[in-house]
Amino acid sequence: MSSVKLRGVRKSFGSVEVIKGVDLDIDSKEFVVFVGPSGCGKTTLLRMIAGLEGITTGDLEIGDARMNEVDPSKRGIAMVFQSYALYPHMTVRENMGFALRFARVPKDEIARQVEGAARILALEPLLNRFPKELSGGQRQRVAIGRAIVRQPEVFLFDEPLSNLDAELRVHMRIEIARLHKELKTTIVYVTHDQVEAMTLADKIVVLRDGIIEQVGRPLDLYDDPANQFVAGFIGSPKMNFLSAQVKEVGSGGVTIGLVNEGDASLRMPVAPNGTKVGDTVTLGIRPEHFGDAGQGGADLTVAVDVAEHLGSTSYIYANTTSSEQIIIEREESRSEIGMDQVTVSISAEKAFLFDQNGVRLR
Amino acid sequence: MAEDALETRGRQVTRSNLARSEQFNGWAFVMPALVLLGIFMVYPILWSLWMSFQVGRGMNFSFGGLANIIRLTQDPVFLRALSNTMLFLAVQVPIMLILALLCASALNDSKLWGRGFFRTAIFLPCVTSLVAYAVVFKSMFAQDGILNQMLMGLNFISGPIPWFSDPFWAKAVIISAITWRWTGYNMIFYLAAMQNIDRSIYEAARIDGVPAWARFWYITVPMLKPVILFTTVISTIGTLQLFDEPNLLTQGGPSDSTLTLSMYIYNLSFRFMPSFGYAATVSYVIVVLVGILSFLQFLAARDRRR
Repeated sequence: MSSVKLRGVRKSFGSVEVIKGVDLDIDSKEFVVFVGPSGCGKTTLLRMIAGLEGITTGDLEIGDARMNEVDPSKRGIAMVFQSYALYPHMTVRENMGFALRFARVPKDEIARQVEGAARILALEPLLNRFPKELSGGQRQRVAIGRAIVRQPEVFLFDEPLSNLDAELRVHMRIEIARLHKELKTTIVYVTHDQVEAMTLADKIVVLRDGIIEQVGRPLDLYDDPANQFVAGFIGSPKMNFLSAQVKEVGSGGVTIGLVNEGDASLRMPVAPNGTKVGDTVTLGIRPEHFGDAGQGGADLTVAVDVAEHLGSTSYIYANTTSSEQIIIEREESRSEIGMDQVTVSISAEKAFLFDQNGVRLR
Repeated sequence: MAEDALETRGRQVTRSNLARSEQFNGWAFVMPALVLLGIFMVYPILWSLWMSFQVGRGMNFSFGGLANIIRLTQDPVFLRALSNTMLFLAVQVPIMLILALLCASALNDSKLWGRGFFRTAIFLPCVTSLVAYAVVFKSMFAQDGILNQMLMGLNFISGPIPWFSDPFWAKAVIISAITWRWTGYNMIFYLAAMQNIDRSIYEAARIDGVPAWARFWYITVPMLKPVILFTTVISTIGTLQLFDEPNLLTQGGPSDSTLTLSMYIYNLSFRFMPSFGYAATVSYVIVVLVGILSFLQFLAARDRRR
């Protein structure tokens, strides 16, 4: 199995630069997920690895060989498309064996490999059907099967689950995770769904506007986001952001006061990194990290807008005095049902502080 | 109870009135079209069927039974026209459709420079004036025309080709003229169908190492099958009715070598001593041929696996 290296990779369409210098190492057998909002360049980057888009400047290496000008079919990759891209006039068997016909693989060997892939993906009863006779999930499995028979060094997945319904998406996500365990290949996977990224990836690459915001293991990104964008993107429901003002800068940290929250102030054990008293900063706290009133550094009383009680978890959608919307997650909560106001606490250890540019203060 | 029944009946009456008025309005809307179609299509079709069993000259005709059909089999000019038409069909339709498919495939490439220009240029012939283009073709293919001059200038031929006086070359001129005129028309159908094919199918094939010719042959062509069938049928019908080009370029000559069935019908009705009954019989030959060939084409295109 091969590693993939990107060095100073850029891509322009005319005068518009969509990939603005990407450096990335993908290790052999690693499952890497590109994630980001739409238009961030993640699919373009994947297509550049596949060879479907040219690389304007920079180098791409797959398995230590430079691949910039190499034909897509000779890069040792296989790709699964969002639209599945199955050949509609061919049966499942023909779809899966089509590429091998042109690789001069003998007929009985093609049959053997197709059946092998079909066994892995539980497609055996469907081999003689046409794509239009299959459900979305089955089509997706055929597309994956078509990639498997080529025995590629690197699998590329372009938002493979976004055309499936929620239930099937969870199911296919588990299938893909199992497949990675079984095949032990390098996988590069593009999605805009951070839950997919969190559950599947060995390594997540968060992209925004053609640059990498942060690379790391899923829980590292969750626990230790580099900036406000990553903090807001990773985690579900999203992290809450509250406006705050710097009240005091000392050697042991920064003391902030929440805007319009009276005396509520919090001492954050971070280096000021240039912030001065009076600067506006952003306090980030995840919905699941609010404590009970009086348990943390500062208390916050909010007006409940809507509360969703799912049994084990409740989500409270609330507004602060300065009309900032926040989400509070509560485990096994029964006492707050029907309340108009809730007081929660914020503790400095669980909260993050970001400066005016969104850079995290540590 | 009685009131209820009355009300129900009242409602039924209203509903049937409404239905009747809808029926009336519907028929009123389609009637003008139906009347015109009836007078100018259905009636002539039925009349010509009746005529095809009549023998006689001009307006003096009488019922002749199968006499016209027997005459067909012994008429050397009819057999000539039939064989010419079938030859045009067999040579021209495949050439034109393959050419249209190749043009469409080339012009579907989004990276091709000036494809809008080429699309328009190739489509334009089928909307140009028939007479104007016939005049241009006649002058181009004349004994001292630009084509002969060019071929001689390039030393491809030693003397001028007798385009209009040699049976073989006359047929070649007719075939190139129809092909020139209708290739773009068919290309538009293929282009429209190609634009409906998901681009990622081709990208998947490219990644899978399927060569360009195989992508065309194993992906594009099968996916265009319904459109190919459609264009084959309409081109077959068009060529069986071929009249304009032979009439304007060669007048069926030399010695009937480009005479088509439609021209023969025209000649029988309006050029020679009018023989409407026999002309109607010949036109039914075209109808039968269209029926048989279309049926065979549908049969050939049927997907046996479904």
